[in-house]
Amino acid sequence: MRIIHFLVICALVISAAYVYRIKMDSTVRTERVLRLRADIREERNKIASLRAEWARLSSPARLQGMVERHLQLKPVEANQFDALKNLPARPPSFIKPNDPDPIGAMIDVVSPDEATGSIPARTPAASAATGGAQ
Amino acid sequence: MSDSASVTPAEPFRQRLIRKLLYGNADRATKARARVGLAMLAFSAVFAVIALRLAMYGVMGDSHSGRRGGAQDAIATARPDILDRNGEILATDVKAASLFAEPRKLIDKDEAIELLTATLPDLDPGEVRDRLSSRKGFVWLKRELTPKQQHDVFKLGLPGVGFLRENKRVYPTGRDVSHLIGLVNIDNQGIAGMEKWLDGNGLADLHRAGFATDRQQEPIELSVDLRVEHALRDELMKAKDKFHAKAASGIVSNVKTGEIVAMVSLPDFDPNNPKEANDPDRINRLTTGVYEMGSTFKAFTLAMALDSGKATLNSLWDTRTPLQYGKFRIHDDHPLGRAITTKEVFTYSSNIGAARIALSQGIEAHKAFLRKMGQLTRLRTELPESASPILPRHWGELNTVTIAFGHGIAVAPLQAVMGIDALVNGGYLIPPTFLKRTEADAMKLAKRVIRQDTSDKMRFLMRLNAEVGTARKADVAGYYIGGKTGTAEKVINGRYAKKKVLNAFTAIMPADNPQYQLLIMLDEPQSLPETHGFITSGWNAVPTGGKVIARIAPLLGVKPRFDLPPSERLILATSRENR
Repeated sequence: MRIIHFLVICALVISAAYVYRIKMDSTVRTERVLRLRADIREERNKIASLRAEWARLSSPARLQGMVERHLQLKPVEANQFDALKNLPARPPSFIKPNDPDPIGAMIDVVSPDEATGSIPARTPAASAATGGAQ
Repeated sequence: MSDSASVTPAEPFRQRLIRKLLYGNADRATKARARVGLAMLAFSAVFAVIALRLAMYGVMGDSHSGRRGGAQDAIATARPDILDRNGEILATDVKAASLFAEPRKLIDKDEAIELLTATLPDLDPGEVRDRLSSRKGFVWLKRELTPKQQHDVFKLGLPGVGFLRENKRVYPTGRDVSHLIGLVNIDNQGIAGMEKWLDGNGLADLHRAGFATDRQQEPIELSVDLRVEHALRDELMKAKDKFHAKAASGIVSNVKTGEIVAMVSLPDFDPNNPKEANDPDRINRLTTGVYEMGSTFKAFTLAMALDSGKATLNSLWDTRTPLQYGKFRIHDDHPLGRAITTKEVFTYSSNIGAARIALSQGIEAHKAFLRKMGQLTRLRTELPESASPILPRHWGELNTVTIAFGHGIAVAPLQAVMGIDALVNGGYLIPPTFLKRTEADAMKLAKRVIRQDTSDKMRFLMRLNAEVGTARKADVAGYYIGGKTGTAEKVINGRYAKKKVLNAFTAIMPADNPQYQLLIMLDEPQSLPETHGFITSGWNAVPTGGKVIARIAPLLGVKPRFDLPPSERLILATSRENR
């Protein structure tokens, strides 16, 4: 009899504790859901205001003003458009795949001391010498 | 207790048995002490838990702060976003805090007034005092604060003053879309333009029922292209300044779907600043205004004659002498002094020719044709603003004569655009729309009003006009433009004023397979040295149209093509082959 009573009381306490726990859990979770919803709403509002700001910053009227002030771009003309099919075909290649680049090779051959049209004579001695020769 | 326990030896047998079964052999006194101890332990455990929990709350704080924001913005005024056809935002909601007070809860009224007016200088002290002294439980002090103002007021720490967060409508693109979008009032109800249309289509009910609290509403996609809209507005602004015009307006419409791709009416307003919108000068001239469209209407007259089969492109019309009609005398701007063909009536914009063509069809046929083209009835679109055309009370022969060249009848420009669309798109009258629409949907609404080959001929005439006629200045190379000009003298005090004109220019591009129509209107443009004193459409509206086309054609994806044959071969010849 005593044991039965003891067991019943134990069961009562445990079940009460369990029910309390479940209720507490659900309350906590409900609150969490509400909080998340509020957070989501808050984030949406922020996104909306950022999108509105982006739309304002990228509005054509503002961009045109900035372009006119800072850039030298001009509106596109009709004759600046062309179709892909009007592009000339790629010229045939005269170099075999593994050959060295012929123009690059020509540059390598040119000695650095040799004066060409675009490179002035190098050494001051050389210029002094030409000066002297005159 | 122990004494009493020890002096009760004489107990009946059964009682002793029960006690033994219940409590065992232990002494009762010991038991009682143990029970008291147990109870003390249990209670102290409970109190310890409570104390610990309190300490935890004290240290960690509560985590419920997120809920506070939600309760304060429960006013159901959310509106769906409005996007252009490419998804650019034209109108959206942002949250803004509004300041309110509960006068009964205020402790020190004078202090509150002083602090509030110091923090928000644009508040009127007298008005604030009136509001705070009222017996009401709730008064608005200022709607739509900036975040900084909100912060400043919050820091004053006044009791009885609080914030509610409301939806505020903003238009990031400002003036570019003013007449299209319309605007909302302070309570976020649409009062003009598409915003009002939105309210008329269920949003108002949603607001009343209190469901429109969240952002979860589907955005509305308009047919408008923001880039085209801006380009059109920019060019119209320049033209309005250059020619000192009173007003300038323009429409770009998709010929095949009836969509309005851009619509600008200057002067316009900034929808973010509703005060401007009330100015009567800022009405939408394209839907709310009605105008005599001038020579633009000759397109209808010629289409009627060609569609009836009674006239061809080469029929001859006598324009040698001005047309005398009662006390009225119809004459031409460029008299040729000979009989001219139907083509020449269009390219030289001959009033006499157009009048004779209309007379040859008869009054009833003329009336019926214009009715069929939707020019005699009020045109309704999504925009709430619309106007009925002004028609002659008794439509006699003289009316037919003048209406043939666009005088004596005033229509909304949008209406004329719809009619011209039908003339060039193969003969289908499609009601214009400001919402996105596919070609298939448009064909379901379309009504055939003229034959295919009449439409081909109209395109030929429009193109011819850009090649040799009055629209030469708009012939931007590469887009194969066709067009018709119109110069209408304005009626001032019941008479036509020679120096005050309303100029219109209608262009289609490309003329061999039209995709878009552009209408430009300038109200009272002035002559400039470079226009040699002329104020006719060919000198102001047409060059403006050319500039607009050069700018918007690439945006609309119209492919430039060069070295196209003249209209006679490209349009007329293909039209004949197809028959």
